[in-house]
Amino acid sequence: MKPLSLFFSISLFPVLLSTAQEIPADHLDFFEKNIRPALIKHCYKCHSEEGDKIKGGLLLDTRESSRQGGDSGPAIVPHSLTESLLFTAISYEDDSLEMPPKYKLPESVINDFKKWIEMGAPDPRIKAAKPTGLSTYTNTIDVEKGRAEHWAWQKPEMPDVPETTGWGNSKIDSFIAAGLAEKELTPSPAADGATLIRRISFDLLGLPPSLKMVKEFTTAYSTDPDGALEKVIDTLLATPQYGERWGRHWLDVARYAESSGKETNASFPFAWRYRDWVIDAFNEDKPFNEMITEQIAGDLLEEKPGEKTIATGFLAIGVKGLNERNVRQFRFDVADEQIDTTTRAFLATTASCARCHDHKFDPVPMSDYYSLAGIFLSSNTHIGTPEGIQNRHSNELITLPASFHGGGRDLPLPEAIDQEFQLALLKDQAAEIQTNIRDARQSGNNDEANRLRLGLLGVNSRIGIQTAKLVNYSDSGKLLPKAMGLSDRSEPFDSQILIRGEEDNATTERAPRGFLQVVKSGDEQMISTDQSGRLQLAAWISSPNNPLTARVYVNRVWMWLFGEGLVSTVDNFGTTGEKPVNQDLLDYLALRFIELDWSTKALIKEIMLTQTYRMNSEFREEHFEKDPNNRLHWRANKRRLDAESIRDSILAVSGQIDLQRPDGSIVSHLGPGFIGRTVSEVQLNKEVNYRSVYLPIVRDLVPDALNLFDFADPSLMAGKREITTVPSQALYLMNSDFVQSGSEQMASFLRDDLKLRGEKLGLTAYFLAYSRPPTPGEIEKTKAYFATFIEAAMNEGKTRTEALNLSLTTFCQALISSAEFRYIN
Amino acid sequence: MNELTYHFQPSRRLALQTMSSGFGYLAFSALSTMAAQQSKNPLTPKEPHFPAKAKRVIFLCMQGGPSHVDTFDYKPILNKDSGKDARGFAKLLGSPWDFNQYGQSGLPVSDLFPEVAKHADDLCIINSMHTDLPNHPQAFTQMHTGNFQFVRPSLGAWTLYGLGTENDSLPGFVTLAPPNGAQNYGSAFLPAIYQGTPIGRAGRNRFAAAADQTPIRNIENKKLSKEMQRVQLDFINSLNEEKLKRDQYNPGVEGVIESYELAFRMQDEVPNVLNVASESEKTKSLYGMDDRTTEAFGRKCLAARRLAESGVRFIEITHGNWDHHRNMKAGLERNCGEIDKPISGLLQDLKDRDLLKDTLVVWAGEFGRTPHGQSLDGRDHNNRGYSLWMAGGGIKGGQRYGATDEYGYQAVDNKVHIHDWHATILHLMGLNHEKLTYRYAGRDFRLTDVHGNVVKDIIA
Repeated sequence: MKPLSLFFSISLFPVLLSTAQEIPADHLDFFEKNIRPALIKHCYKCHSEEGDKIKGGLLLDTRESSRQGGDSGPAIVPHSLTESLLFTAISYEDDSLEMPPKYKLPESVINDFKKWIEMGAPDPRIKAAKPTGLSTYTNTIDVEKGRAEHWAWQKPEMPDVPETTGWGNSKIDSFIAAGLAEKELTPSPAADGATLIRRISFDLLGLPPSLKMVKEFTTAYSTDPDGALEKVIDTLLATPQYGERWGRHWLDVARYAESSGKETNASFPFAWRYRDWVIDAFNEDKPFNEMITEQIAGDLLEEKPGEKTIATGFLAIGVKGLNERNVRQFRFDVADEQIDTTTRAFLATTASCARCHDHKFDPVPMSDYYSLAGIFLSSNTHIGTPEGIQNRHSNELITLPASFHGGGRDLPLPEAIDQEFQLALLKDQAAEIQTNIRDARQSGNNDEANRLRLGLLGVNSRIGIQTAKLVNYSDSGKLLPKAMGLSDRSEPFDSQILIRGEEDNATTERAPRGFLQVVKSGDEQMISTDQSGRLQLAAWISSPNNPLTARVYVNRVWMWLFGEGLVSTVDNFGTTGEKPVNQDLLDYLALRFIELDWSTKALIKEIMLTQTYRMNSEFREEHFEKDPNNRLHWRANKRRLDAESIRDSILAVSGQIDLQRPDGSIVSHLGPGFIGRTVSEVQLNKEVNYRSVYLPIVRDLVPDALNLFDFADPSLMAGKREITTVPSQALYLMNSDFVQSGSEQMASFLRDDLKLRGEKLGLTAYFLAYSRPPTPGEIEKTKAYFATFIEAAMNEGKTRTEALNLSLTTFCQALISSAEFRYIN
Repeated sequence: MNELTYHFQPSRRLALQTMSSGFGYLAFSALSTMAAQQSKNPLTPKEPHFPAKAKRVIFLCMQGGPSHVDTFDYKPILNKDSGKDARGFAKLLGSPWDFNQYGQSGLPVSDLFPEVAKHADDLCIINSMHTDLPNHPQAFTQMHTGNFQFVRPSLGAWTLYGLGTENDSLPGFVTLAPPNGAQNYGSAFLPAIYQGTPIGRAGRNRFAAAADQTPIRNIENKKLSKEMQRVQLDFINSLNEEKLKRDQYNPGVEGVIESYELAFRMQDEVPNVLNVASESEKTKSLYGMDDRTTEAFGRKCLAARRLAESGVRFIEITHGNWDHHRNMKAGLERNCGEIDKPISGLLQDLKDRDLLKDTLVVWAGEFGRTPHGQSLDGRDHNNRGYSLWMAGGGIKGGQRYGATDEYGYQAVDNKVHIHDWHATILHLMGLNHEKLTYRYAGRDFRLTDVHGNVVKDIIA
């Protein structure tokens, strides 16, 4: 295949090469004897330059135009019958696409086409294809000038560490101190041990500290703060819960979800593998530059599909408009989503704004966009999903070696056989309807034919789902390990530039596959003609000399630890984004991160050991007046917990939390299907006690517990969450089954498991909820509460025991519902 | 269990040990010297700056940028020149829909809106709208907050801040099935209680949206009587007040306190208000709820009327998928078909109940679309000229205000910028946009920043 593909790429240029040496003689012979005559006889009338008219934008009279295809996509894809629309059309399998329209070709001719495509569609009809586009593209952007005018496109240099005044224990502190001094602000003193351990525990694990941790840490911290901090940070970084917490941060950036979204919303039963890969990568502290490379091009780094291929799920799990009718449009849309996610996630650059015109604000010409598009268009995106009227783009998943586990349930043999039988039945049914349609059509009964067609659509949908299910099982009913991800297309190509982003309005030029000119790493590698270019894309992004990559990532890490980035627009470092509030610190962190071999754990530890991280969050009025948003960091931010931490805390304080990682996901257990139709909300919302990161993340149906507390919408890449305070949250905490039963569990944990009574029970409850004992005021109010509540309950006819039990449950619920529970100081 | 493994469940012994030594090692900072402000209910109705024409707003928000030249901006010359070269290799695309004149005023409305057109004499169509950027996220945010660069309070939040609300058992600002981006109904630096309360889910997935029949979840407490719940809530509030005292300044916690009180009252009020099923069949069919196409949006419009009637200050309903780069003919027909009857029903119902006179109904998207075609059957974004309409609440109906050029590319006569539009809405609500300010970080902020002129000519 290699010589051919190389040849194909070259043929894009107006160079004519002899064909004889490229195509084996017997193949050439087969074409001339069987294929060319058939094409001329049956197809050229509507699909050639010389024909009467060009239907569907498709020309079949050159090799190039056949492969490029028409409105619906490529007519010929060598070696792939399923992707070759010409074959679909002539085999009369798809009711909406039957060619020639008036008659079906003889079986022998269809078989010739089949053979020909399978042998790689050898085709000597090479001439420089007539350009399909008439428009031309003119670049209006001066990239060099743009780069010179904006900080983010320029390489960071190690800044001088400012002189400090005694406060601080690190370079980071010096940069912070200098920023504060400029505005005549002073840093806040360190927080007390209990506040700090709660902060650290949530920051690293997303869980409240255990009573043991609080006790040990506060004791150690009072005598040796530095030692105590280092020890607890090391300990927590080594727990599996760290990866679950930090992996979830990255999953926001990766717009992780387990369904396609949009109208069709087909489930992605194997998306969870990418989720687990991310969590494991954080736990193993995989260097971030390697994480980048594997997520973009992991499949190209290993002989047969494995962990690294799973990482490319990053590019496959985006939103897909599966009911798009136009294949070419769909491919461009997928590539666009991949460009948008990749450039914003790693480079905080909004390159996809240049799809329809040169970027309006940043020096990204349209041609750069299409340079990236060529890379993604030259790759296959494996998404699976059942075929059907709502989905015209199902394709095969990547099959992993048997050493990978399933993430679902094996079928006992009788059931497997029955499932096969069901499929066969459906197929028979479809065949019968098809015959009836043909009969009806022949007898001129169009109404009947149309009625039957509707029925056929339903049966075909069911066949689609059943097939998608069975494809994932071996003959013996064993669930096969599969993954979403990318692979290279056999014939990479450069993308045409599409005027106004219109797939049918291509220019004559193609944009050679490449990168964004404004972001220069110096490590730009040539993309050879037989590769998609993803490896080179990964190398360019993960280069230590890329001016953006490390800065963008350390800025995210800073935000995940402090609640706000040094650049507050974390996904946009372009000219419409915010300038860094302390660029020296940002640049220092970026370069230091590279020195630390891109180790996220090392970076986190270094930041957490600073005096900056340790500050308390006390309010200081004169400071507030000068810097109300605390951008210069004169104190710690009081932060509301994210949705996952709130839910996990409720499970933790009620002793219910299950810290085991589930096998797969509820979505993988339910299997392929369509959300809201064959996969119901009830099935998805099954009650589980494992950590929130493992809940089913289905687009447009994110679980309430997450959705209500500002979970990042997984339909878009969103590196930063919003924080709202609305009554629907209060209603959830007051009235939902989850919180009410959590409160009952917490009460029973205190009363029955710990056998606590009276004041001791109260103290422990506060410790569980707030990681500290109650204040005198809180103690007083708690006592009053029990008295008042019991009286009120008994007034309403409750017995004393009922009233007592209810008072304890509602007390626990009150703690869970109070603001302190969901804030860290 | 592995020593490194996080484990939560403490042993009983350890728990007791921790407790007994609990108080010793924690010093609590002295309580604030600054007394936490005794907050009075921030939603209490406030006097407007001058007598208001409109008491409430129903904002029909069309996300994606509906084409103006196919709906409310009649461009005969565009139709005549359809197919001629436009800018950048594109060709002008005449509207595939006819326009007819309606009412005594003879306002031209396209065939996409035959029902809304019946209310032509109530509509003021502004044809000369313009906004700063042709990108969805920024334009959508600017439409809601006036500013796309920084996080700023939304129009609804400003209105609520300025006027309070007439029913303290309902949120003063409700957004039905809002799209992504809480910023668009957020309160930014205004107190959190002024942000919009989302009811129902946004869903591109129509199946998910249809499944969402419960308009607001967790509205009922199955375990506690009102009296017991009140005792519990008082306790929660007292804990939160303690925290607020310690924190001195924490708008999030203030918001929590207020949201509990509101949530408590909502438990009684909301199920009644949103119970559209209690309406007569005649009313339901007025809103198109008896037709599958119009059922979903009709239900929202009827809910909006009920909310308006109950004293909610600002109600927003979003309708999505107006981004017709391609397949515009089918797409616009479908979209307009879904909303035409319901909106017409809403206007009629408000009129019948004598509510239209002080209810401002607004129909708008974030921008319009180009007069030239894209992909044969579509149009690109156009921020320099587009249309919206307003009705009721002090609006002089039956007029077109301003104009775009002959093709509809840009506003040329009586241009109205987003800031002007915001200023006008506030004006109708009895608020002077230059005086409605909030001091934050040493500076007075306002919705219109330093811009905005009230469009006096459209006010009755």
